[in-house]
Amino acid sequence: MAPLSHQESANLVEIRDVVYRRGERAIFDGLSLNIPRGSVSAIMGPSGTGKTTLLNLITGQLLPDEGAVIFEGRVVCPCSRQRLYATRRQIGVLFQDGALLTNLNVFENVAFPLREHTRLPEQLIRQIVLMRLHSVGLRAAWQRMPSELSGGMARRVGLARALVLDPKLIVYDEPFTGLDPIAVGVILRLIRQTNDVLGITSIVVTHDVAEAEILADLIFLISEGKVVANGSPAEMQQNESSLVRQFMQGLANGPVPFHYPGVSYSDQLHAMSGT
Amino acid sequence: MSNETRAIDVGVGLFILLGLGSVVFLTSQTLGPGELSNGESYILQARFDHIGDLKVRAPVALAGVTIGRVSQITVDPVEYRAVVELRIDSNFDQLPIDTDATIATVGILGGKYIELGPGGDEEVLRDQDEIEFTQSAILLENLIGKFMLNRNATSSE
Amino acid sequence: MNDSIRACWLSFGQFAATFGGFQMFSLRLLPYLPKAILRPRLITEQIYSIGVLSLVLTMFGGFFVGTMLALQSYSTLVEFGQIDSLGAFASEALVRELGPVVAALLFAGRAGSAVASEVGLMRATNQLAAMELMAVDPIQRVVVPRFIAGVLSVPLLAAIFCTLGVLGAYLIGVHQLGVDAGAFWSHIQDRVDLYDDVGSGLFKSFVFGVSASLMGVYEGYYAAPTAAGVSRAATRTVVITSVWILLFDFVLTGITVPGV
Repeated sequence: MAPLSHQESANLVEIRDVVYRRGERAIFDGLSLNIPRGSVSAIMGPSGTGKTTLLNLITGQLLPDEGAVIFEGRVVCPCSRQRLYATRRQIGVLFQDGALLTNLNVFENVAFPLREHTRLPEQLIRQIVLMRLHSVGLRAAWQRMPSELSGGMARRVGLARALVLDPKLIVYDEPFTGLDPIAVGVILRLIRQTNDVLGITSIVVTHDVAEAEILADLIFLISEGKVVANGSPAEMQQNESSLVRQFMQGLANGPVPFHYPGVSYSDQLHAMSGT
Repeated sequence: MSNETRAIDVGVGLFILLGLGSVVFLTSQTLGPGELSNGESYILQARFDHIGDLKVRAPVALAGVTIGRVSQITVDPVEYRAVVELRIDSNFDQLPIDTDATIATVGILGGKYIELGPGGDEEVLRDQDEIEFTQSAILLENLIGKFMLNRNATSSE
Repeated sequence: MNDSIRACWLSFGQFAATFGGFQMFSLRLLPYLPKAILRPRLITEQIYSIGVLSLVLTMFGGFFVGTMLALQSYSTLVEFGQIDSLGAFASEALVRELGPVVAALLFAGRAGSAVASEVGLMRATNQLAAMELMAVDPIQRVVVPRFIAGVLSVPLLAAIFCTLGVLGAYLIGVHQLGVDAGAFWSHIQDRVDLYDDVGSGLFKSFVFGVSASLMGVYEGYYAAPTAAGVSRAATRTVVITSVWILLFDFVLTGITVPGV
C-alpha cells in the first residue's frame, strides 16, 4: 500500500464549481461541496433538483460541462474505461430498490462483484458473502430469489452487495423511501454502523428530514443548482434562511410556492366569465 | 456443480446434437453416390457448338453413373465454340482417347448433363487432355422446327 | 394532407435514426465477441433459454409444414404423373426457403421477443445501471452472450425444422398418399444439391439468426425504462425482425438461385 502522502485531503469527494446542463436547463450551476472522510453526509433538496444526477456525476456516469468532480484527489473522468472502472470499484452504490439481478438468488447477487472482479477461491467467496449477509441480518435468506423479498430486505441485500468489495465510499439513493418504520430503523442502524465499523464514508441522498437529522454528520441542501445551506443538523435547524426553514420543517408554502405559477385567480375568473 | 447447471448443460448438449444430427441427416439424403470423392480429380476439356442450358456443377456421367462435374464453362472467341471443363474423379482415369461427350437431357424436360461414351482405343485420356468427339445439345426449338418442316414436306407430297 | 405527409416523413426519419443507431450498436458489439469465448457458461445458459426452449415449437412447426407441403403438392404432381418427386419437391422447398424463413420467424416471435423483454426489464429495474456501477460492462455480461447464443441457435433450429419437415412429408406422402418410399428418398438425392440447396439454406438461416439476435438485444438494451417501454421493445423486435427476414430472404434468394 502506498504511504499516505501528507497532501492527502481530508475530503474524500470534492465537487468544485460543477455546471451540468440538460438541454437548456442548468441542473447544476456552480455546485461546490466537500465530503469529509469517514463522515455520513446527507444531500437533500426539493424534488427535481437533480440529486440522482449528482450521484451519476460522482460515479462518473455523467461528465460535468464545467468544473470537476474529485474522488481521492483525482478527477473522475470517463476518459478510459479502465480508470473509470477502477474508481467505481471503490464506490458502492445502493439503489432505491436494491437493483438486484433478478435471475440470481441472494447469495449469488452478493457474490456477483467478487466473481466478476476477483479470482478468489469458492471457499473464500462463501465466507465473505455470508459475513456480509450476516451483517445486514439476512444470512439465513441466502437461497431466496429477489422476487421473494420485501422492499426492505431487497435493499439490505443491495447493501451487502455494495460492501462486498470493501469500497471507500458508499452512496445511498433514497434509502428510506417506501419503507415501514421498522425497516427504516433497520436501515438507519445499518448505515451508521457500517460507516463507523468499516471506517468508510457515506453519502445519503434523501428528502427525509427526520431521518437525515438523526443520521447525518453533515447536511447539504441543494436548490436551484447550488448548495444553499450546509452544516451539522443542529446548525441547519438554526439556519435563518426561509428556504431552509421551509424544507427542514416541511412547510407547505414558502420560497417553494404552493400554487403552480401562472395567472392570478381573479384574472382567470374574469377571463372565463367574459367581463 | 448444481443440479440446475447440470440440467442446462444436458439440455444444451442435446440441442446441439439434435441440430448437428439434422444437418448430417440432410447431408446424407442429398449426397448422391460418387459425390463424396476423396478429393482426387483430374481435368478434361471438351468443345461444343451449343451447350443448351448446361450449367456449372452439372453431372458428368459414364453409362448413366455420375463420375464427375462440369467445373467451368467459357467461350473460345476465335472458334466461336463453348469450351467446357470437366472435373473427373481420379478413380475413373482409364477413359480411352476416343471417348465421346454428348450433352444429354435428364428425362424430357430436365436439366442438361454430359454423358460420356467410351471408345475402344488403348491409350487413355490424361489430365488436361481434350475430348475430340463431342455432340452438342439438341435444342427443343430445332427439334420442333425439323418436325414442322418434315410435316410440311410430307403433307405437300 | 400535409399532416399525413409530415407524419410519413417523420416516421421515415425515425426509422432512419433507429436504423443508424442500430448500425452503431452492432459495430459496438464487434470487439466484445472474441472475449466472450472466455466465458462459455454464460453462452451455454443463453443457448438453453433461447434455443432449447424454442425446440418444441420449431419441431412442431417443421413437422406440420412438411405434411402440408406434401398434401398441397400432391394434386399438382399427380396431374403431371410426377408423384414420385413429392419428396424432392418438399425437401427442396423446405431446405431452401421454408426451413430458414419459418424457423427464423418462429424464433423471432418466441425467443427474440423474450430476449428483448428480459434485457428491457433489466434496463427498467436499474439492473444494467447497477452493473455499470459495479464496474461490470453490461454489454459484455448481458448482451453479447445472448447475441452469440441466438446466432448459434437459429441455424440449428432451421436444420431441425427441415429434418422434421422431410419426415412429415415422408409420413404423409408414403403412408397416406401412396408415394413409393424408395422413390421418395432417391428423388431427393437426385434433385436436392448439398451445396446449392442445403448450403444456401444454412447460410440464409445464419443471416437471419444474426438479424433476429441483434434486433432482440438492441431493442431490449435501449428500451424505455417503463413497463410500456419493455412491451413496446418486445413487439418491435418481432415486427422489425420479421420484416428484415423477409427482405433478406428476397435478396438472398435472388443471389443463390442457380442459373439466375
